[in-house]
Amino acid sequence: MNRRSVLVTLTMAGLVLALTPALAQQRVTVNVMTAGDQNMVEYVTDYLAPLFEKQNPGIRVRAVGTGPGDAGSQKIWERLDAQRKANASAWDVDVAVVHQRMAGQMVQEGLLNRYRDSVDTGKLVSRDTARKALGTDVDGYVLPMFHSQTALAYNPALVPNPPKTYDELVSWVQANPRKFGHNGIKGGMSGVAFVFGWVYANSPNPAQLMEGPYDPALKNTWGPAFAKLKEFNKNVVITPGNAGTLDMLNRGEIAMGPVWVDMFYTWQADGKLPPTMRLQLLSPGMPGQPMYYVIPQKAANAEAAKKFVAFATSPAIQAEGIVKRFNWYPGIDAQHVQSHLDHAAWERLFKDVSPQDLASKGKPMPISEYFKEIQEAYERQVAN
Amino acid sequence: MHSRLLSFALVAPALALVAALFVYPLAFSLGSAFTVQGGIGLDNFAKAFELYQTDILFTFVIIGISTALIGALSIAIGGYLVLGEHPLAVAALGWLYRWPLFVPFIVAAQCMRTFLAKNGLMNNAIVSTGLLDAASTQSFLDWRGIVITFVWKQTPFVALMVAGAMAALDRSTIEAARNLGASRARILLEIIVPQVRATLMVGLILSFVTMMSVLSVPLMVSGGTPTMLTVDMAYRINSFGDYGVANALGFISYLMTGAVAWIYLRETMRARGAA
Repeated sequence: MNRRSVLVTLTMAGLVLALTPALAQQRVTVNVMTAGDQNMVEYVTDYLAPLFEKQNPGIRVRAVGTGPGDAGSQKIWERLDAQRKANASAWDVDVAVVHQRMAGQMVQEGLLNRYRDSVDTGKLVSRDTARKALGTDVDGYVLPMFHSQTALAYNPALVPNPPKTYDELVSWVQANPRKFGHNGIKGGMSGVAFVFGWVYANSPNPAQLMEGPYDPALKNTWGPAFAKLKEFNKNVVITPGNAGTLDMLNRGEIAMGPVWVDMFYTWQADGKLPPTMRLQLLSPGMPGQPMYYVIPQKAANAEAAKKFVAFATSPAIQAEGIVKRFNWYPGIDAQHVQSHLDHAAWERLFKDVSPQDLASKGKPMPISEYFKEIQEAYERQVAN
Repeated sequence: MHSRLLSFALVAPALALVAALFVYPLAFSLGSAFTVQGGIGLDNFAKAFELYQTDILFTFVIIGISTALIGALSIAIGGYLVLGEHPLAVAALGWLYRWPLFVPFIVAAQCMRTFLAKNGLMNNAIVSTGLLDAASTQSFLDWRGIVITFVWKQTPFVALMVAGAMAALDRSTIEAARNLGASRARILLEIIVPQVRATLMVGLILSFVTMMSVLSVPLMVSGGTPTMLTVDMAYRINSFGDYGVANALGFISYLMTGAVAWIYLRETMRARGAA
């Protein structure tokens, strides 16, 4: 290749590059970045995206996963924060799916678009978690994708009358040592949620833990609750992880344990858990959490992003995708979803935990300061 | 002088890699362990000791027990391969014992999770033979499960080294002892093991260091407390973003492996001096 032909090639390449944005305008790509397990990415790429793209020719959906837990949400925040600090005019995340703690932080730092009122489905949510995330006001900035809830799973063959409250559970465990298992606080959120529920049930100001305001002195009131938990733990089995609890239930090694409701139903559907197992939501309440659809403040394709979120939170999609396929509770209010579900699917989801139970006993996680402090107090006073 | 420069140039890429991928992160994490709000301090260590002192001790004890068992088993395996009199049994053992070497830790942990459970494969097998009834079985998914997994996984590695060293020994000492009527156990412990001591030490030290760094096994096999330091480190980072305490715990692990590495170095220096 001589020098001239190199020059010509380079010029042509430059022309192609210069024309690309014009071409791209006809075809928009919505970048969806999601925290959570691999199933979240699968939900978007395998289920949502094909349906959405069929309805909206010209829009493509690309999903990227950032990993489970708050660490996954943290990565999304890092990306947005970096682009803001670099004064980028358009950010390359159009829709993000994040956990509560990070949603609150993003709202406070002005990273998010207040989009809910400009989306039709925004009217279909009334639950408190759509307005507050771990004590932070997020009203208007988020739409729940789904709610997940912890509950007590039990084997009715071994426990015909399961305990209904944390206090009844304590006496049951005393009478049936090593038949109850939970996974502590290092092996996954179902154990952490059980501990939060325990503190709600056994400490003087549970409402303040869930709604704030934060008062550092409050942690001094948890002593008796943790002393009781330490005593309680002597008669229970500590299981290896969320799946560990379900495994042990399945093998009949324990008769009861706290689990995520969606995991419970998914395992049953996969035949990894006997269909006879049941759920019970303990009083005064056990925590659950939503994940939120958010749109970043300077999303490159904000209009397409809104379309996508409206689609994903529409009753039909919530019924088929969220409830039927993934066994989550819907993000929008359940009554809007009911008409899109057949009787069997509705019955299955709400058989053991009714919508009323969910409303009265489905608690939020504690606000972020207490979230950390309760875990650390557990390490100090129970695990040591 | 010239050849000296050349030899330096030859090792420079390797040195640069070590510096960039090991020394720099090491210095960085050490720095973070000693950094507290607005300066240098020991707060991270105070917290690490307050919350995790049992785990520090537990880690040391678990790995100590595992290392001892690995040593005993690999001597037994190597010894039988050298001294065994039944050719078929020797061949079978020689073929079988290496298998776990090719199984990753996380896969081993996953298998043990169903194998060692209360109603797991092992107990079910024992119950079906009638030796035990189902109610009196117990779960090994605690510190014993960790030890069993470590021993199962690391014994082949040490046994491979030890068996090789034993096979390379001058057999005349063994034959002499045999002629004088020594039992096989005595030959193994008094003639063979002292001669392969250096190899055995190296194998055990490398196993010790490997086991110190395994997260998957304690995480998957045992959910209870106390647990190993790797689990605590992962927990500090994943739940709190607290790199300070995690690095302090890492520093404590360095101290443990450092002590063992020092023994290793002293041993090799002595061996070199003797040679």
